[in-house]
Amino acid sequence: MNAQHALDAAFRESWGRIVAALIRRTGNWDLAEECAQEAFVEAVRKWPADGVPQRPIAWLTTVAGNRAIDRLRREARGAQLLEQIGHEADVETMFDEVEEIEDDRLRLIFTCCHPALPMDGRVALTLRSLIGLTTAEIARAFLVPEATVAKRLTRTKSKIAAAGIAYRVPPAHLLPERTAGVLAVLYLMFNEGYSASSGEELIRVGLCDDAIRLARSLRQLMPDEPEVAGALALMLLQHSRRRARLDDNGELVTLEDQERARWDRAEIDEALELLESALRRGAAGPYQLQAAIAACHARAATAAETDWPQVAGLYALLEAQAPSPVVRLNRAVAVAMAGDLDAGLAMVDELGTDPRMARYYLLDAARADMLRRRGDPRGAADAYRRALPLAPSEAERRFLQRRITEL
Amino acid sequence: MHYLMTIVGTTRFSSDGVMSSDAIEAMNRAFPAWNEKVKDRRLFGRELDLPGTASIVRVRDGEPLVVDGPFAETKEFMAGFSLLDCADLDDAIEVASSSPVAWHHRIEIRPFTQGVRLTDRAAAFGRGDDNPYLLISWMREPRVDLAPACDRWRDDLTARGLYVLGGALGGADTATTIGTRDGATELADGPFTETPEFIAAIDVVDGVDRRQAIKLAATHPFAGTDAIEVRPFYTE
Repeated sequence: MNAQHALDAAFRESWGRIVAALIRRTGNWDLAEECAQEAFVEAVRKWPADGVPQRPIAWLTTVAGNRAIDRLRREARGAQLLEQIGHEADVETMFDEVEEIEDDRLRLIFTCCHPALPMDGRVALTLRSLIGLTTAEIARAFLVPEATVAKRLTRTKSKIAAAGIAYRVPPAHLLPERTAGVLAVLYLMFNEGYSASSGEELIRVGLCDDAIRLARSLRQLMPDEPEVAGALALMLLQHSRRRARLDDNGELVTLEDQERARWDRAEIDEALELLESALRRGAAGPYQLQAAIAACHARAATAAETDWPQVAGLYALLEAQAPSPVVRLNRAVAVAMAGDLDAGLAMVDELGTDPRMARYYLLDAARADMLRRRGDPRGAADAYRRALPLAPSEAERRFLQRRITEL
Repeated sequence: MHYLMTIVGTTRFSSDGVMSSDAIEAMNRAFPAWNEKVKDRRLFGRELDLPGTASIVRVRDGEPLVVDGPFAETKEFMAGFSLLDCADLDDAIEVASSSPVAWHHRIEIRPFTQGVRLTDRAAAFGRGDDNPYLLISWMREPRVDLAPACDRWRDDLTARGLYVLGGALGGADTATTIGTRDGATELADGPFTETPEFIAAIDVVDGVDRRQAIKLAATHPFAGTDAIEVRPFYTE
């Protein structure tokens, strides 16, 4: 293995672990990030010349740990902290067993995603401390100025310290709720990447991989949480369609028209297995239900073979657990696709009176599609035209325009 | 850590009596059990009189300026508060969200920067015919430079036997607001106040009449830079 590959692999594998372990021992987030950073800089300098160490992660961990000790010794408060930790002899070994403590990463995930923190701060801090994205990379991924991200990170870390947010895995009675909070952060991250699929936005697309990686870690760390498996399955199923979502001209392709051979079978198989084992545990939560819906599409060899009654039923269950106008709209579409166009249209019309949907282009797009299927091209064209100015991206506007021409 | 747990009142509930007497009674019935459960973590707690009973004190060029009425004409206000001594934020959230008050009110939790000062007067609070007032410091910008002066002000009032409790609060950035929806606790980052000013400190004085309480407020270091709201406590 060459040094660059070894470095990339070690970075992905160990950044979060090193940061997590250093935070637990020092309580200092900035110090943890900086020392992890220095360890990798040192590796970049030494590995190409000296060769990759036998145990790269242990090597990095030791370097980062030593940097932390050096820095702490130089500061008065740090020296105090070291005194609390133990005698000099213990200090030398305090970072040695870092890689074995999985709990550290869980602590870090739960702390970064604490619900008392601002959402944008949770996302930024998770990407910074668990994935190792730089402030500039996070800024590019979220299309905001670097200074904004820097401010979010500072403010979020300072709230953790000032408001007394404990660095720990929440107690059992809080775990389901807090786990849902962590999954919400990961899923938001995933969607941010998923909604940006064009070539020049590769850094944003990378967010999907990052979210999946974190969900995989979380799944390893919490194998008994069905919603974690459900969220991972959901992301994998959506991700499996990434190569089919755009045609060769970069135009958006609907699920119905996607070339299913381009779907990633390995990801689908992994997701279906995860989902099935999660569902066997009983009462399915919202992520498992969404994954089950995505699985209906993944299992259908062609769009026509989709089990729409099943999809409609799953949306009804999802709506009961997590009611929202968007879920209801999806349910209406499934009902229409299952054969009951009138019932679907009635649900869409009812949603039209919901102020939350007033600027949601997919409502009119869905109505247009139902009218088209019912043989009302004029009504469909009108609805597509209403959707047009509300569509958020160029690709979506082009898609609607195409639909109007096809009528 | 010490936290201020602020009960967020709304004009909807308190002035036109929309909250039914049944709801109030149910809350009162549940209160002793909650109080028992959290008594080691709840150092103090009282309801305040309505914001309309407040006076606002500012000192400009050495001249005290006093006006009537609430500091901010907002729909939401501090209706009461508790002082919590909790292990961490989750612990404080647990105390606050299990309170019967949380059934109907949002609650803000904010840490005290240097802990809270409680004098002997706090233990005897409300037992005599004392006349306590809450002094709320409303500020636009945090003024850490005034912290030593505030400490000296509290020392002086403590020495004179007039100080009950109080301290400086973490900035608006350190606040968490708790609400409930469908019986589930929902957390939001930030304070309940929507004004540009935030509550930077609270201090309770006692053994004075309203005029004297206003005079004491005028000697608060923050009165010279910002504004102090002087508010009586709720009495039966």
